[in-house]
Amino acid sequence: MTEATETAEATLEAPEEKKICMTTFYKILDSFPARERRYLIPMMTKVQNEFRFLPPELTEVLREELNVTRAEIYGIISFYPQFRIEEPGKYIFKLCYGTACFVKGAPIIAQKLKEKFSMGKGETDPSKLFTLEFASCLGNCGAAPMAIIGEDTYGNIDPEKTYSDVTDNYAL
Amino acid sequence: MSTVVKKTINFKLNGQPLTAPEGTMILDAAKRSGNFITNLCSNPKLKPFAACRTCMVDVREDGEKKLVYSCTHPVSEGMEVFSETEETDRYNGACLEMLLVEHPLDCPICDKSGVCPLQDNTDALKLYNGRFEIKRRNEPSIKTNPIIEFYLNRCIMCGMCVRICDEIQGVQALDYHKRGYKIMIGTANEEPLDCEFCGQCITVCPTGALMDLTSEARGLAAMFTNTLSTCSFCSWGCTVKLETKKGKLIRIEGDETFDLGINEGNLCAKGRFGHGIVQNEKRIQTPMMNVGGTFKEISWAEAIEMVAERMTTQVNRSGPTSIVGLAGEKMTNEEAYLFQKLFRGVFGSNQVTNLQQLRAPYINRFQDKCFENGIVSKPITELETADAVLIFNSDIPSEYPVAGNSIRKGAIYTGTDILIANPRRVVFNNESRVDIRMTYKPGTDLAVASRLSRILIDNNIIDTAKVQDAVPNYDDLIRSLAPYTADATEAITGIKDSVLVRAAERFGRTADRCILIGNDILDTGQGEAILDALLNLAILVHHGGEGSVSIYPPREHCNSQGVQDMGCTPEHLPGGARIDDANALERLRETWGLGDLKLEQEDLVTNLWENCSQGLVKLLYIAGEDPIRSYYKAEPVKDALKTVPFLVVQDMYWSNTCQMADLVLPVCSYAEKDGTFTNMSRHVQQVRAAVLPEGESRPDFEIISDIAEACGKPFPTFDVKEAQDEIAKAAPIYKGLFPGRKSKQWQPEQSGGKAGFTPVNQFVEPSPNESYPFKLITNNHMFHIGTYTHHASALVDIGPDCIAEINREDASALNLADGDKIQIASDTHALEVPVSISSRSTPGVVYLPKNWVDVPVNMMRNGHEGLVAVKINKVG
Repeated sequence: MTEATETAEATLEAPEEKKICMTTFYKILDSFPARERRYLIPMMTKVQNEFRFLPPELTEVLREELNVTRAEIYGIISFYPQFRIEEPGKYIFKLCYGTACFVKGAPIIAQKLKEKFSMGKGETDPSKLFTLEFASCLGNCGAAPMAIIGEDTYGNIDPEKTYSDVTDNYAL
Repeated sequence: MSTVVKKTINFKLNGQPLTAPEGTMILDAAKRSGNFITNLCSNPKLKPFAACRTCMVDVREDGEKKLVYSCTHPVSEGMEVFSETEETDRYNGACLEMLLVEHPLDCPICDKSGVCPLQDNTDALKLYNGRFEIKRRNEPSIKTNPIIEFYLNRCIMCGMCVRICDEIQGVQALDYHKRGYKIMIGTANEEPLDCEFCGQCITVCPTGALMDLTSEARGLAAMFTNTLSTCSFCSWGCTVKLETKKGKLIRIEGDETFDLGINEGNLCAKGRFGHGIVQNEKRIQTPMMNVGGTFKEISWAEAIEMVAERMTTQVNRSGPTSIVGLAGEKMTNEEAYLFQKLFRGVFGSNQVTNLQQLRAPYINRFQDKCFENGIVSKPITELETADAVLIFNSDIPSEYPVAGNSIRKGAIYTGTDILIANPRRVVFNNESRVDIRMTYKPGTDLAVASRLSRILIDNNIIDTAKVQDAVPNYDDLIRSLAPYTADATEAITGIKDSVLVRAAERFGRTADRCILIGNDILDTGQGEAILDALLNLAILVHHGGEGSVSIYPPREHCNSQGVQDMGCTPEHLPGGARIDDANALERLRETWGLGDLKLEQEDLVTNLWENCSQGLVKLLYIAGEDPIRSYYKAEPVKDALKTVPFLVVQDMYWSNTCQMADLVLPVCSYAEKDGTFTNMSRHVQQVRAAVLPEGESRPDFEIISDIAEACGKPFPTFDVKEAQDEIAKAAPIYKGLFPGRKSKQWQPEQSGGKAGFTPVNQFVEPSPNESYPFKLITNNHMFHIGTYTHHASALVDIGPDCIAEINREDASALNLADGDKIQIASDTHALEVPVSISSRSTPGVVYLPKNWVDVPVNMMRNGHEGLVAVKINKVG
C-alpha cells in the first residue's frame, strides 16, 4: 500500500469519527410539546440548524420516536430542497440564479466553480469547503450578479474574477 | 356487521334509482350497481384521495347543481347524479389528456394491457387524437429487489400503491418523492425495497408501473387465461386468480371483483409469488418403489395394484385396525372424503387421522363446544366491520397476512378496536384509535385469557345475572377464576393490570367482536386450557354482553378445517358428527349402501407413533404430509416410520418421509386439480385446475378411486361433481355449498342448547431452568409455510435464510451483533443459525422460523410439551 492511498483512507475515515451529540438532539426533541408526527418538520428543521444536515443516525432515531416510516421521512426530505441528508461543505455557497443575475453572468460563475471545485448545483466540492446551491432570487438584483456565502453577501461580482474576489477568501 | 347501523340512502344515477349505505361515495355506489364512471385512482378498499381528477359527475343536491368528484362525494338522500354529460366529459377528458402527454404507449409489452383502467377510460372518453405534444419521461426501470419492478415512465401518480401499502398493508414502504414535475414513487432514499412483499401495489397499480418480476410473460394480460381458485398456503382461504398462457402458470393475481371470495383481492407474498411450486421439475414425476433402499420408477398400474393388494392382504391377515391412513391437510374436501371412505367403507377401518388431530384433538372438540354454546361465528368477510378484534398469540402479518388487511380496513372504516395479546412484540401497524398491546411472558397465555374473563365479571362490564341464567355451571367458572387476581396475574404475565382492564372494557362493551387465535398456542403445551379459557371469555360476552362474538379455531393449512369436516379423524364422521352418533352413522350406511358398517373398534391412531413403533400398525398410508418435518416432535415419528412394515407416501416433492417409504406416489398441486377447500372460518371455496399435471402426477382423487376399484369395491362417484353430491348427502352441513363459487360458510346442524363453561386448570408456572434460560418460539416465516415454499424461487429470493431473532438486551448480554452465528441448544438437539437483533423479540425469548429443512426445529422438542427451553452460545 502506498502512502498516498493511506492518507486518502485516513481522510475518508475522519468524518465517521465525529461523534454526534445525542444530548443536543434530545434537547431539541424535548423543546416540543410532544413527540408527535405533526412536529416532524419543525423538528427536522431545528435538527438541521444544529447539525447543518440530517445525519442518517438521527433520522433513524427521529423515525422511531415519532413512529413514522423511512419512506415517509425520506418523502418529506425529498420534497423540501432545504433538507440535506449529506454533510454540506464548510460554507454554503448560495449563488443567485434570478433573471438579473443570470443576465449579468451567474452561469459564468457557476462554470468557474465547476472548473475549480468540480461542484454543480446542489453538490459539495471534494475538499468539503463549499456546497453550491442555486437560489431563485436573493432580492438584491441591483447588485447582480450576487451570492451569499455562509454569512457574507457578495454583490457586483465580476464573473471573470470569481476566484480572486470571492472564493480565495475562504479556506478550510 | 358492526353494531353501528348505517342508514340506507336512496339516490338516482342517470335516472336509475339506487340505494347505498350512508357515507358511501358516489363512485363506489355506482361501481357496486354495475355502472361505470371514469376514474383511475379510486379503490373501495382505500380512503378517498382524488388524485386523478377524472371522475367528475354532475350532481343535483338540495336543488343545486354541482360538479363534484364522485370518489370523494358521498351519496345523500334524494340526490340525482348524472355521469358522462357533455360538461363532465370535457373536464374528465382534459385531465386524462394531460396524463397521456407523459404516458408511454408501450402497451404491447405492458403487464396491464387489456386490463388497464387508463385504456378503458381513454376509450370511454373517446380521446383518440391528443391535442398536446407528446413529452415522454425517460426513467430507467428499477429492479433493485427480486420481486417488484418499478417502471416509472408508466406511472400516473394515482398514489394507489402508496396508499395500499400504508392503509391496508400497514407497511408504508413506498412514498412520493419530490413534487411537481419531478414527482415520482419510490422507497426511502431509493434503497432497495425491503417490505412484506405482499405485492398489493402490483394489483392496484392501474398502469403497469409496478410489475411482477416473477411472471414469466410480459404484456397483454388480457390474453392470459384466468382461473379463479383458492390459495393452498395458509388456512385463510384467499381467492386467487391463476393466470396461464400456453399451458404455463404465469403468475397469480388477486381479483378485486366486488363480493368475490373473502379477501377483496388482497393477497400475501406466499399466495402471490408462491406459484413456483406448481410447475417445477423438482417435483416427483413418477411413482417410485423402494427396492432395498434405492428407489425405482414403476408404472401407475403397478403402483395401484401393489397398494390395493397390500391393503387387502393386511386387512385379511391382521384385521381392519392394522391399516392406518394419515390425511394431508392440503387435500381437497372431496379427496379427504374419499380417503376416509377408502378406509371406513372399503376396509372397515376407523383408523384415519391427520396431523392436527394427532397433535391437538382438542381443537375439534373446541369447535363442537362453541356450537353447543350457541357461538356459531360470523363469516370472516365481516371481520372488516367488527368493532373489536382480539388477536390472541398470532403474528398476523406472518400467520394470516390477509386477515391483517381486513382488520386494518376495519380500523379505518369501522373504527375497530385492536387488542393484541402475544409474548412477542409483533408488528401490526394500523390506523386504529384503540390499539392495546398485551405483551406477556412466554407461556402465560392461560393467565391472560382467564384474567380478562375475571375482569369482565368483577368490573361488571357484562351483565353477570344474564350469564348466570343462561349457563348452568357459572359458579364453577367463578371458582376456577379465583386465583387470577390483579396482583397475581401481573406477577405471572408481566402485564400491568390497567392494560388488561382497558382491553376487557373495549372487548366487553357493546360490540361485534372477533377472536383470532394463533397456532402458537399449541406450542405452549396448554393449548386445550387456553382454548377453553378463550371460549369462556366468548361465552361471557355472548350471554352477558350486547352485540355478537365470533371465535375461530386455529388452523394451519389450507384445508385443515375441511379434512376434519370430512371425517378424517377417528372421532368424527363426515359432517362433523361424533363417531358414536347413531343417526349420523345410519345416514352414512345409507349413503354408502353398506348396511353392516361398524366403526366401533380399538383406537390405534390417537397414539399413532407409539403404536407404529410397537408393531401394531402394519400399513401406514400418508397422503401428502411430511410428518418427520412438520409434526412438532421429530423423534417418535422417525421411530414409527422405521418400524411400520409398509409405508405409502403421496406427495408433490421428495421429503424425508418419502425417503423412508416403500412406495411413493406423485400427486397434483392445487393448480392441477378440482375440488373445494374449507378455510378456518368454515367457508367452502372452489379449487380449479388451471394447468395440466406435472409429469405423471395425478390428483389424490383419482388415486384413491383407483385403489378402491382395484380392491374390487369401486366408488360410485366418477368425478368431483358426483363426489360433492355424495358429500352433501353424507354431510348435510355441506349441502348447497358446492361447487364453492360463492365462498359460503357452512352452518352447524344445531347450535346452542348445551351451554356450559369449561373451568380451566389453574395456571402452573413452569419451573425455570437455570441452564436453559431462553424460551424458543417458533412458527411459520412471513414468506414460507410448511416446506413446499422452498421450491418457489421467488419466495426463496425474498426469504433465503433462517434467521433467529433475539432482543437487544439479551444480545448485548451475550455480546451478539446482527448476523453473528449462534448455537441454539435444547437438552436434545442443537442448531446453528445466524441471529438478528429485533425489537419484536422480548427478553428471554428467541424466535426461530420452522420452515427450513436444514434447520429442523422440531428436533429440539423431544419428550416434553410446552415451550422449549434453550440456551444460546455464540459460534466462532
